[in-house]
Amino acid sequence: MIQWILTFSLIFITLSILAIIYRLVVGPTASERVQALDVLGTTIIAGIAIFSVLLRTTAFFEVALLIGILSFIGTIALARYIERGIVIERK
Amino acid sequence: MSKQVLINLFIGFLWMFLQDDWSVLTFAVGYLFGLLVLFILRRFFNDKFYIFTINAIINLTLIFMYELFVSAILVMRKILARRIDIKPGIIAMETSLESDLEVTLLALLVTLTPGSVVMEVSEDNNILYTHIMDIPELSFAVNKSKVRFEKAIKKVTRP
Amino acid sequence: MSASDWIELSVAMLILIGTIFNFISAIGFIRLPDVYNRAHALAKSTTLGVLFALLGAFFFFLFLEGYFSIKLFLGIFFVFLTSPVSSHMICRSAYRAQVPLADISVRDDLEEPIKAPSRSI
Repeated sequence: MIQWILTFSLIFITLSILAIIYRLVVGPTASERVQALDVLGTTIIAGIAIFSVLLRTTAFFEVALLIGILSFIGTIALARYIERGIVIERK
Repeated sequence: MSKQVLINLFIGFLWMFLQDDWSVLTFAVGYLFGLLVLFILRRFFNDKFYIFTINAIINLTLIFMYELFVSAILVMRKILARRIDIKPGIIAMETSLESDLEVTLLALLVTLTPGSVVMEVSEDNNILYTHIMDIPELSFAVNKSKVRFEKAIKKVTRP
Repeated sequence: MSASDWIELSVAMLILIGTIFNFISAIGFIRLPDVYNRAHALAKSTTLGVLFALLGAFFFFLFLEGYFSIKLFLGIFFVFLTSPVSSHMICRSAYRAQVPLADISVRDDLEEPIKAPSRSI
C-alpha cells in the first residue's frame, strides 16, 4: 500500500522535474533559467525525502541538506551576476 | 534578554547544587523556580521579561504558517483556473518599521503572503516595492496582513 | 489494521499531498506569463510541498524507526529561510536587468525611482 502511494508521488516529482526542465530550455531570459534551477534543487530535496522513506534508510539526509545549501548559494551568485555582471565585488 | 536567560540558567544550576542531585529533572525544577524569581524581579531589568518575547516569537510563527497556507491555496487556485486571468503589477508600500532586522523580517513575511513578492527596499528602509499577482483582488488583503505583521514584529523587537 | 499501518498510511498521504503541491507549482511554472509571476509559484507552493514531504519523512522515521532526525528538521528550517530570499533576489536582478513585465500588467511604481538621477534605491 505505502509502496504504491510513494511510487505515485515519485511519478509526480518526475513530471514536475520535466516541466521545470522545459522551462529551463525554453525560458526566454537568463532570469527564468536561474529560477528554474532553484526550483529544481527544491524539488530534488522532496524526491530525496521520498526515496529515503521508500528504502527505509537515513543515509541520504546529508545529500538533501547539501543540495539545499548549494542550490541556494548558486542562485544568489547567479542573481548577482545577472544584476551587476560580477559575483564578488572588490573595493 | 540574554542576561535574563543566563541568570535563569544559573539559578537552575544553583538549585541542582543545593539539592545535591545531578539529574535533568532537578535542573528543570530549578529552572522553573528561576522563572518565578525572574518574574517577581522583572521590573528591575531594563528590557521586558523574556518569556513575553518568546511568546511573541511563537505568535509570529503561527501567523506566518497561517498566511503561508492561505497564500499557497490562493496561488494554486489562480494557476489551475482554466484561463489565467490576472492583472499583475508593482506597488509601493509604506512601512513604519525602522531597523534592518525588522525590515528584513517584514520582507520575508510579506513574500509569503497571498500573491506578493518584495522586489526592492528603498535605501531609507521606508518603502517596500512589492510585485502583486492580481492588483484589484489582492492589494487590500496584502495591506491588511502587512499591518498585522508590523504589529507582531514590534511586539518581538521593541521593549 | 494495526497502529503502525495507520501511521504508515498517514505519512504516505502527507508525502502525496506535498508532491501534488509541487506538481501544481510546476504547472504554474509553465503557464504563468513572466518571471515575476512565476516567483509567486516558486516562493509559496514549492516551499509548502517540500515542507510536507520532509515532515512526512520526519514522522516516518520518528514513529516507525524511533529515530529523531535533526537533519530533516534543519532541512525544513533551511528551505523556509532561503526560498523567499532567493525569489526576492531573482526578481530584483531581473528587474535591474530590464526583463520586461508581462503585457497584462497594470501598474508599475518602481519604474520612476529606479531611473531617477539621485538613486534612492
